[in-house]
Amino acid sequence: MSANQALVLAVPKGRILGELVPLLHRAGIRPEAAFADEDDRRLRFATDDPRIEIVRVRSFDVATFVAFGAAHLGVAGNDVIMEFDYPELYAPVDLGIGHCRLSVAEPAHLGAGDDPARWSHIRVATKYPAITRRHFAARGVQAECIKLSGAMELAPGLGLCQRIVDLVSSGATLTANDLVEVEVIAEVTSRLIVNRAALKTRPVEVSAWVDRFREAADAA
Amino acid sequence: MTTLGDKALLPAGLEDVLPPYAAQEAATVERLIACFSGHGYQRVKPPLLEFEETLLAGAGTTLTQQTFRLMDPVSQRMMGLRADMTPQVARIAATRLRHAARPLRLCYGGQILQVKGSQLRSERQFGQVGVELIGAGQEAADAEVVLLAAEALGAVGVAHLSIDLNLPPLVGSLAAGIGLDTENSAALLQALDRKDSAAVAQIAGDQASLFTALLRAAGPADAALAALGKLSLPKAAKADVERLRRVVGLIRDAAPELTLTVDPVEHRGFEYQTGISFIVFARGVRGELGRGGRYTTDLLGGGREFSTGFTLYMDTVQRALPEPERSPVLYIPAGSAPADRGRARRKQGWVTLAGLEGEADIKGAARRLGCSHVLIDDQVIELKD
Repeated sequence: MSANQALVLAVPKGRILGELVPLLHRAGIRPEAAFADEDDRRLRFATDDPRIEIVRVRSFDVATFVAFGAAHLGVAGNDVIMEFDYPELYAPVDLGIGHCRLSVAEPAHLGAGDDPARWSHIRVATKYPAITRRHFAARGVQAECIKLSGAMELAPGLGLCQRIVDLVSSGATLTANDLVEVEVIAEVTSRLIVNRAALKTRPVEVSAWVDRFREAADAA
Repeated sequence: MTTLGDKALLPAGLEDVLPPYAAQEAATVERLIACFSGHGYQRVKPPLLEFEETLLAGAGTTLTQQTFRLMDPVSQRMMGLRADMTPQVARIAATRLRHAARPLRLCYGGQILQVKGSQLRSERQFGQVGVELIGAGQEAADAEVVLLAAEALGAVGVAHLSIDLNLPPLVGSLAAGIGLDTENSAALLQALDRKDSAAVAQIAGDQASLFTALLRAAGPADAALAALGKLSLPKAAKADVERLRRVVGLIRDAAPELTLTVDPVEHRGFEYQTGISFIVFARGVRGELGRGGRYTTDLLGGGREFSTGFTLYMDTVQRALPEPERSPVLYIPAGSAPADRGRARRKQGWVTLAGLEGEADIKGAARRLGCSHVLIDDQVIELKD
């Protein structure tokens, strides 16, 4: 990695992009046209500012790219930040986009005859094994996590497990699968994340971008 | 036991260091130590193993989970394998060298073993090289160790150094000052560590503006000190900031080119530090090259001693170095210089490689063994690619 190369901003693919593009514009970053095209196969995009370029990766990978310094800045939900709990990540700005919550859900009929105080072990399907284990361990319950990458809502109905931990925005998917949200683990929004060594060794440039994102978020 | 996997696989975090990197690391350690010695730091060599109680006392308490332990069959006591050399050197200063004149300047270099690698450093075994300046509470001592770290790393060829100066006890005392309970205080420190201003605002409530201002103050030293000067801090914290300002002045006078940043909320890994501390980064290099700072030791007969120092992590230092240059190697064919086997050439600074049997294709043999030159009829001939 050369010392004076352009900074790299990692952003997640998918649903957040619609909210993110206007925010990037307010922060003064105009990605090349291909960036907004979901069908474009490229992963790396220039912007109108030669000092910053953008890479588009999966939301879970944004945190990893930034933590290891492969990207200097990134946009990631605090669900992802909490899951990895990378000590090399800073999350200085709440961008106020991508609102949802990380919740525990279970079949509607389950709650009646069940006393959570008596649990010593439960089985949970989730994309977030670390958060789930930590959450239940804090109340003395050992959570056995079945790591799935999607369609968590199917798991209780098919007998894989009784509970899931997943992102919920409207709750429509849960309802459609006869599940109820029983507990909110965390409210989720997207954050600007920064690599620790990048902030320490290029403080002027990196803090200037942090300030621009903060102003862009405040202006919304 | 026939596959390569059976023979070659090492436990996670452990590796064989091969040419030319093993030689590069050894040479780098020696040059660092030479630089420290040049400033009057005398080398000490603590053992690999110690009794658990002495190894994990004082500064060692934070290393309990990182320390491999084994039972000493002789004394029947539990021993620990050092996970950090710093507490060992502090122990030497406080015990066997307790009567040595202060300020006492010691340096050390050696390998350590940790139970778990970290996210950025998967190595469980790595080299540590550092200094301790013991019995020196002065601001000049704070400046001396920072300057020494920069000088030594510069001397071994690390470019684009950047030193982050910190006041580790600051956030803890501020958090205690606003009356948070232990749990919220820990959550606040964690949020500050991640520079998560949303979480800081949530936990600190109406006191959040002070902490948010601290977060925003971090940056290039002069701007950061100016921002810190404008905050309304408790008296003790104000004094710490003033001291830091004077130390920055001392460092600037001696090394105006050095990149200095100040981060007043940095505290992770500085649990034992009691004053000005610092972390060494290099632009474009993953992780920390080293860290150090001020600490206090309780003396045997009562009283306390103020010290500072730093330790460099050789794995990261090596990542910050340019690729080692291949030094020219002179091939001396068998039988061509039987009397001195190239001694005269080695005196001139050549690395020589002696042929062990006569070859028809001398140049071919020399190339195969990675030589750059060959000695034919007592003439040094360069091998062209």
